Amino acid sequence: MADTAGWRERVEDTALLWGLVGVVAILSLLPLARLLLEGIAPNGQYSTAALSRILSSSTTWTATQHSLVTAFGGTLLAVLIGTVVAVLVSLTDIRGRNAFVFCFVLPLMIAPQVVALAWLQLFGPSSALLNMIGLAPPMGSRNPLYSAEGIIVLLGVQYAPLVFLTLRAGLRTLPQELIEAGLAAGARPFTILHTIVLPLMTPPLVAGIALAFVSCLGNFGIPAFLGIPGNYLVLPTLIYQRLAGLGPGVLSEVAVLSVLIGMIAVLGLFVQDLMLRRRDFRVTTTSNPMRPFELYRWRLPVEIGLWTLTIGVLVLPFFALVLTSLVPAIGVPLTSTTATLANYDYVLFDHAAAKRAFVNSFGLSAAAAFIIVFIAVPLAYFLVWRRSRLLRMLNLVAEMPYALPGVVLAIAAILVFLKPLPLLGISLYNTIWIILFCYLARFLVLGLRPVISGYYQLDRTLEEAAQIAGARLVRRLRTIILPLVAPVATAGALLIFLTAFNELTVSALLWSSGAETLGVVVFSFQQGGDSTYASALAVLTVAVTITLMLSTLLTTGKLAQGVLPWRG
Amino acid sequence: MTNVSRRVLIAMAVLAAALVSPSALAQAPKGKLVLYTSQPERDATQTTTAFKQAYPGVEVEVFRSGTTEVMGKLAAEFAGGQPKPDVLLIADAASMETLKKDGRLLPYPEAKVTGLEPGTFDADKTYFGSKLITTGIAVNTAAKGRPASWADLAKPENKGQIAMPSPLYSGAAAIMLGTMTTRSDLGWSFFEKLKAADAVAVRGNGAVLTAVASGEKPYGVLVDFMAFNAKAKGSPIDFIFPAEGVPAVTEPVAMLKTTQNPAAARAFIDFILSDEGQKLALSMGYIPARSSVGSPSWLPPGTKIKLMPTDIAMVVQTNSANLKRFAELFGN
Repeated sequence: MADTAGWRERVEDTALLWGLVGVVAILSLLPLARLLLEGIAPNGQYSTAALSRILSSSTTWTATQHSLVTAFGGTLLAVLIGTVVAVLVSLTDIRGRNAFVFCFVLPLMIAPQVVALAWLQLFGPSSALLNMIGLAPPMGSRNPLYSAEGIIVLLGVQYAPLVFLTLRAGLRTLPQELIEAGLAAGARPFTILHTIVLPLMTPPLVAGIALAFVSCLGNFGIPAFLGIPGNYLVLPTLIYQRLAGLGPGVLSEVAVLSVLIGMIAVLGLFVQDLMLRRRDFRVTTTSNPMRPFELYRWRLPVEIGLWTLTIGVLVLPFFALVLTSLVPAIGVPLTSTTATLANYDYVLFDHAAAKRAFVNSFGLSAAAAFIIVFIAVPLAYFLVWRRSRLLRMLNLVAEMPYALPGVVLAIAAILVFLKPLPLLGISLYNTIWIILFCYLARFLVLGLRPVISGYYQLDRTLEEAAQIAGARLVRRLRTIILPLVAPVATAGALLIFLTAFNELTVSALLWSSGAETLGVVVFSFQQGGDSTYASALAVLTVAVTITLMLSTLLTTGKLAQGVLPWRG
Repeated sequence: MTNVSRRVLIAMAVLAAALVSPSALAQAPKGKLVLYTSQPERDATQTTTAFKQAYPGVEVEVFRSGTTEVMGKLAAEFAGGQPKPDVLLIADAASMETLKKDGRLLPYPEAKVTGLEPGTFDADKTYFGSKLITTGIAVNTAAKGRPASWADLAKPENKGQIAMPSPLYSGAAAIMLGTMTTRSDLGWSFFEKLKAADAVAVRGNGAVLTAVASGEKPYGVLVDFMAFNAKAKGSPIDFIFPAEGVPAVTEPVAMLKTTQNPAAARAFIDFILSDEGQKLALSMGYIPARSSVGSPSWLPPGTKIKLMPTDIAMVVQTNSANLKRFAELFGN
C-alpha cells in the first residue's frame, strides 16, 4: 500500500517535471535555437561570415559598452527609487497608502516612448510648464535628455515599479516578531532596516534587480527616442539599424547581435544566483500585520516627496497624453476654442480595428498572465526546492526572450511557425495564437522571478507536513503552496498584464487582420502622422485599466489580505 | 477653382473606371491575393477597397506595418522558405532593388508604363513606382527664417534648430543621403554643414513632424504629404521645395516570383498604375507617378517640382559605405 503511494508520487513528480521541461524548452529554447541556426548557418549552409563581420565591427562593441552603461545605470536608479518607495509605503505610517501604490504601478502601462516624449517636451523649448515660469530654454538649445544620462533617468523611472511591486509582495511576509525583538533590544529604526529587513528581503530585492536589469537591457523605445538623436547607440537600436539597412545576411547579423544581448542577460542571472547562494531567507509569517513605524514630523515631508515623485512618473506623461488627445492637430495650442473630442470620437466609433484591438489585447494579456502564473508556481517549486539541474539550465534561457527586442523574438517565432506544425498539420502563422505564444515566451520571466523569490522566503515545513499526511505533489501545490505564494504570484501576474497590454514590437510583425493589438493600432496612427488619435487611444487604455484595477477592490473580497498590492 | 477641378477629376475617375472594368472582367482574376505594405493604415484600406471594387473576384489579405517591420517579416519568411505575399507595396525602391538582386521579384514586361514619370519604374520591369513622395524643408510658422534652399537650411545661423530623419533607421532617408551626396552642389559637404549646425537625426519622419509642429525644432527635413496633411488639420507648419530640387521615393509595387496567384498580382499592379489607381493616390494627398491625372490640391497650381534624379542601383551599391560615413560624421 505504502509502496503504491510512493510509486504514484514518483510518477506524478516525474510527469510534472518533464512537462515543465517541455514547456520551457518550447517557449524559450526553441525560438532562440532556431534564430541562432540562422546566425551560423544562413539558408542551411554553415558560415561564420556574419559572426566575424559583427564581432570585428567597432560599432558592435561601442553599442555593447553603451548597453552595459545604461542597463547598469538604469537598474541602479530603478532599484533605488523602487526600494525606498516600497519600504516607505509598506513599513511607515504614511497616509493614502493604497492610492499611492495604485498610482505608482500604473506607469508600467504607459508605453516607454510616450514617457520619453512627455519628458522631452517638459524640458524642451515648447514646454508649457517652463514657459509659464519663464525658464524655458530658447528654441534650438539641445535637450539635455538626448544623452546617456537622459536614457538612464528615464529607464530608472520606467522600471522602478518593477522593483517596487516585487519588493512590496516580499515585505508583506515580514515577521512582526523579529522587528519587535529588535525594537525591544533598543535598536533604532534604521538599524532594524539594514540589519533585519533588507537582509530578509534579499530574494525579492534580487528578483526586482534582475527584472529591472533585463528590462533596461532590452528596452528599445527609450534609447530610440533619446539615443538616436543623441548618437548614443545601444544593442537594441543597433539591431534596428541592421534591419533597416538593406543588405544580404541581415537575419544572421541580427541573430549574432541577439546572442550578445542574451549573454549579458545570463551574466546578470549568474550574479543573481551568487547573491542568493548558501543563505537562508526563510520566514514564518504571522497573521498579525506589522505595526508601522511612525515618522512623526517627517511624515508630511515624506508624503510630499512621494507624491512629487508620482507627479514625475505618472501625472506628467499622462497629462501630456491627455493634452495631445484634445487638440485637432499637433502644434495647435490647446484653448477653449481649439479643444475637441473628435479624436476620441474617431477612435471609439469610426475605427473598427481600435475596438477589436482592445478586446484582443485584453484577452491576450489576461491569458498570458494566467497561464504564466500556473507555469511559474510548479516551475519555481522544482527550481528552488528540488534544485532540478535540468530546469536550472533552462532557467538561464527563460530570460532571453524578454531581454531581446520584440522584433527579434517575432522573427524567431516566424521561423518556427511559418510551416504547419509537424504531426498536427495546423498552422499558427497569421493567427492570434502565434502572438499568444510570443507573449508567453517573452513575459514568462516577469511571472517567474517574483514567484521564485517567494519560495526562497517560504518555510517548507507546511508542505512537508502535508506530504507526510499523504497529499501528493499536485494537491500540495494547489492547497498549500499556491495560497502561500499568492501575493508574489499576483505581483507577477500584474506585471505581465500591464506590460503586455501596450506591447508593440512583437505584434508589429505578427498581427493579421482581425488579430490587431492595441500597440499595433497606436503604432499605425503614429506612423501615419496621427499622434492625436494615438494619444486618444492611449488615454482610453489607461482609463479602462484604472477602472479594471479599481473593480478588483470590489470583487475580490474573498482573496486573502496582502494578495493585491493596493489593498491593506 | 479647386472645386471645379475636383469635380472634373471625379468625372474622369468614373469614366476611367467604366473603361477599365470591362477589360478587367474579361480576364477576371480571382482567388486570394496577399499584400504586404508599409502604406499608412488609412491609405492601405482605401487602396484595397478600391481594388476589390475593380476586381470583385479577388479576395485581398493585407499585412501592414513599418517598412523595417515588413522587410523583417519578409526576410524571416524567405529564410523559412515560404514567402507568403503575392504583391508588395513598400516605401522605397532601394528595398525593391535589393529584392530584385536576390532574384525574388517576377518581372511584368506587359505593365503599362507609358505616361509614368521617367525613372519611377525599373528598366527590367520588376517594380513600378506608384507615386512620388518628395523630401523638402518643413518650417514651423513661428520660425524666424524661411530657408529657400538646402544651402540656406545648413547655414550656421540655424544652429541647433534642425531635425532630420536618420538614414540609419529609415530607408527613404537613406535614398535621400545616396542622392544628395552624389550631387556637385550639395555632396557630403552639405551633411558636414548640417552636422556643424548641430542638426539632430531622429528615428523617422513622424518624429520630425512632431519636433517641427510642436516647435521643439523650427526646421525639419520632411516628406511632403506629412507636412501638408498636418497643415490641413491646423498644425503650424509650412513646406518648402528647396531651389536645388527635391529627392523622392516612389512607393513601388512589385510581385514576388513565388506568387500563388500571378493573374491577381498582375491585376493589382495594373490597378495601381491605372488612371483610377493614380487618382486614388492623388486623393490621398500624394503626387501621382502618372502626372497626367493631375496634381494634389496642396500644390499651388503651376508649381513645377524639380526632382533630383536618383540612380537606385548606385544607391544600393554605395548604401553601406554611405551609412558608415554618416554614422561616423554624426557620431560623437
